[in-house]
Amino acid sequence: MKPLRPSHPYLFLAPTLLVLGIFFIYPLLLALYRSFFAWDLLTEPVYVGGGHYEALWRSGELVETLGRTLGYSLVVVVWASALGLGFAVGLNREGAVYAFVRGAVFSAYIVSWVAVGLLWLWILDGDAGILAVGLKKLGLPTTAWLSNPDTALMTLAAVTVWKITGYAMVIFLAGLQDVPKSVLEAAALDGAGPWRRFWYVTWPLLRPTAAFVATTSLILSFQAFDIVRVMTQGGPVKATTIFVYAIYESVFMNLRVGRASALTVVFFALLLGLTALQLWAWRLGQREGTT
Amino acid sequence: MNRLSRRHLMVGLASASCGSRSLSPGEMSLWFTYGGRNRKVLLELVDQFHARQSKVKVHPTFQGDYFEGLVKLRTGLFVGSTPTVTHIIGEVVPYLAEAGVLSPLDELEAEVKADVDPALGQSGSFVGGDERPLYALPFNRSTPVAYFNRGLFSDAGLKPPTTWAEMRSVAKALTLRSGDRTERWGFECPIAWWFWVAMLGQAGGQVIEPDGRVSLGDEAGVEALHHWQTMIHADRSMKPPPGRDFNAWEATNSDFLAGRVAMIWTSTAFLSYLTDNASFDLGVAPLPKEKRFSVPTGGTFFVMPAGVTGAEREAGLAFLRFMISPEAANTWATNTGYMPISLAGRAKLRAEGFFDDHPNFAVTLDQLKYAQAWPWAPELFRVQREAVQPRLEQAVLEQKDGAAMLGEAKASLRAAGIATGAL
Amino acid sequence: MRRASLLSTVVLALAGLLWIGPYLWMVSTSFKSMQEIVAAPAVPVPSSLDPSAYAAVFEAVPVGRFFLNTLVMATAIALLQIALALPAGYALAKLRFAGKRWAFGLVLACLIIPPQVTFVPVFTMLGSAGLVNTMAALVLPFGVSAFGTFLVRQAMLSVPDEIIEAARLDGATELYIVYRVLGPIVQPTLAALFLFSFVYHYSDYFWPLMMTTDDRVRTLPLAVALLREQGTGARWNIIMAGNVILSLPTFAVFALTQRRILKAVTARALG
Repeated sequence: MKPLRPSHPYLFLAPTLLVLGIFFIYPLLLALYRSFFAWDLLTEPVYVGGGHYEALWRSGELVETLGRTLGYSLVVVVWASALGLGFAVGLNREGAVYAFVRGAVFSAYIVSWVAVGLLWLWILDGDAGILAVGLKKLGLPTTAWLSNPDTALMTLAAVTVWKITGYAMVIFLAGLQDVPKSVLEAAALDGAGPWRRFWYVTWPLLRPTAAFVATTSLILSFQAFDIVRVMTQGGPVKATTIFVYAIYESVFMNLRVGRASALTVVFFALLLGLTALQLWAWRLGQREGTT
Repeated sequence: MNRLSRRHLMVGLASASCGSRSLSPGEMSLWFTYGGRNRKVLLELVDQFHARQSKVKVHPTFQGDYFEGLVKLRTGLFVGSTPTVTHIIGEVVPYLAEAGVLSPLDELEAEVKADVDPALGQSGSFVGGDERPLYALPFNRSTPVAYFNRGLFSDAGLKPPTTWAEMRSVAKALTLRSGDRTERWGFECPIAWWFWVAMLGQAGGQVIEPDGRVSLGDEAGVEALHHWQTMIHADRSMKPPPGRDFNAWEATNSDFLAGRVAMIWTSTAFLSYLTDNASFDLGVAPLPKEKRFSVPTGGTFFVMPAGVTGAEREAGLAFLRFMISPEAANTWATNTGYMPISLAGRAKLRAEGFFDDHPNFAVTLDQLKYAQAWPWAPELFRVQREAVQPRLEQAVLEQKDGAAMLGEAKASLRAAGIATGAL
Repeated sequence: MRRASLLSTVVLALAGLLWIGPYLWMVSTSFKSMQEIVAAPAVPVPSSLDPSAYAAVFEAVPVGRFFLNTLVMATAIALLQIALALPAGYALAKLRFAGKRWAFGLVLACLIIPPQVTFVPVFTMLGSAGLVNTMAALVLPFGVSAFGTFLVRQAMLSVPDEIIEAARLDGATELYIVYRVLGPIVQPTLAALFLFSFVYHYSDYFWPLMMTTDDRVRTLPLAVALLREQGTGARWNIIMAGNVILSLPTFAVFALTQRRILKAVTARALG
């Protein structure tokens, strides 16, 4: 639509862009600047040029961190979206049981990461946790999920999926409201089974919502921090040192702000690229009606 | 050094322009990084301080854990808004002192010389610590000790080990297995720098040589790693705890309390906690030797940031004077398990028969004679955090070759411009 | 037909238990004694309901004040975000103007930048402005929710242009249209945004920790952190009690907003 006054769109966006500019863009640009120095917040910064980037690349740390983060994110996005969708479709009706399950699934999302992390630390303990005890009773093999470098990252991913499925579910529930019941009923009367109804009627209308969920969970999972901090502190042997935690470690533990800044710049560029890719893949632009 | 001037200028300007401090004369701020029980005892001490005098008022505030507190101190220094007093871990003291951001505490030198145990104060905790201005006062000081389940040991007719060889046999004897599941482990210890330094010392080495080169103990360092590797992978009598840093320490304690492991190494700091929560007879023993007995010290020191002057400084000094006094030092130590830093206080405890009633408390003090001083090296914490700690885990958990790992650690230090000498 | 629905009910109920089970276990742990926890942490039900952990929490940390701070902060953030997202979302969804793609991209890009990256410069900025230890430091940096803007834009895309045109013809100002006409129409989205924002910021630990050096505006998650002692893990029952207390208000907010979000569900389902 045409704005009433040409200045309107800019005025409406001004507060948003102002806040973002001060609190996000400026720090990001500052990080870009600082990434060319070695600095510990205490002594004078020392110019190192592209030294940090080079070191990150040569040591393989960049690629490794990226790999871990991508692996983690992929699992989280796919599973949380799928489960969220499943729950949303299955629970989209009246009834006490349905309300209970909706609340239950969402309750995991509400509880803080610290509580969730501590809880699962206990559940997953290789010797005394409920899960190990239960599996042993069933005669199934167990392992120390969180202290085994091979399983630690995926264990964190599983806990993350458990926590954010509720978020995906709620978004999908909202999106499902756009699906007219009359069309579904008509399809049912025509003899279409639940799968066909879903695939031909529901899914096409749900695609933008799915794109939204996928994009936002990708971004949110790339920012995972609290769960690592509470459960594994980046270990064992760096197995769970994903991007934001790597930045945190650099600043807080190794006192290397310049290096953290370099990591930040790379992280931002990568995620931006990934997001753009994802949006293009979903062809989000398609949904734009009157521009 | 011109690095100092910028820092001092900023801090000076900020203090002069005030606003951020807003403390009246006689008031001071204390930043601490403890939760739980330690926090409680600290706050009680602050109350005691207020009760016995009315000139100085302390405002204690929690600032997260050690690392978060350190970052906040640094950002505080950067914006010129620092606390009057805070506490930092020993490994970081030389770093901050050399960067010029700590106030020398000359006014307290007399008291410190008179009453503070040199092994725990700056003079004995750091090589050449007494040749430098007094920057740090000991607050909570600890050494690693071995805690053991007396019941399990006596049932098996065993005594706490005094050598590495005994340690291996004892741990093996106490490990119970059923099938491929371990019901009870013989030994557990966080795979942490502190314990590795202890073993390195026991194997006869030092982390940093007197001439300043970072040797990481040379062969002793490798031997230390090998000891762990053997016990975990060959003997299968040692359980490596999950998580890192404080989670690993927590897991070690929990496992021990639940009877899942017979003997652990951890800090004397947990003595009160373990005593209170153990359902069995708790024993404490010094760490065993290989070539010699050796333990590092740990815990934090009180420091005052640079730029604290005038009435605020006086208030801070008064509080610090109180904290190193015999009564306060004893209150702290007996309620937590950290060592009493005041010699007069210790004598008083001895006279009262405290150590007879609580023999476990005496063990760590006896062990002090084997305490190794830390080098006064600004890069010490980098050696710890960046070069060594990650590689300890790799070596132990992934069974990488110890010598190769330490070689890598040294290479990374050289790349950072730190001299490591041959190899 | 009936068998299928019984099976699905059972499956769903089990799923529900899987999700709420750990939380229930957290509650049960908060009522156990320390010895019980150490000896048998896996037992689901406490042998007796021991409320001393809750008393200990209130005694150890100033729950009331911190809780109020948290409530004020989270509500302020959520409301501020809604206030800013409405006009921004409207512009991005409905108005034609140059630079629209860039603006949208910029907003989305900011969603990517985590607080661990921004806190040093922001702290420095706020420090110079004397805003450290104030509510402003906790609220303003989060005044914009890129996620919320995205969400509102999405919702507004579905609103027919005719409504806006009609309101314009009636002489309504654009601001009126945004807040008084479109706002109510996208209410379920705003309720969802409020819920997510509130939940997210309510349990934030990192930002309030780094932006405050004293207790004036500190929030509940920091209080709960005080219950934890490095290394000992101290008293689990108290820590869990603290976490239960921490999460209760978010459940309340969820219960309140759920009705609004699902009002739309029932309305459409029936209509």
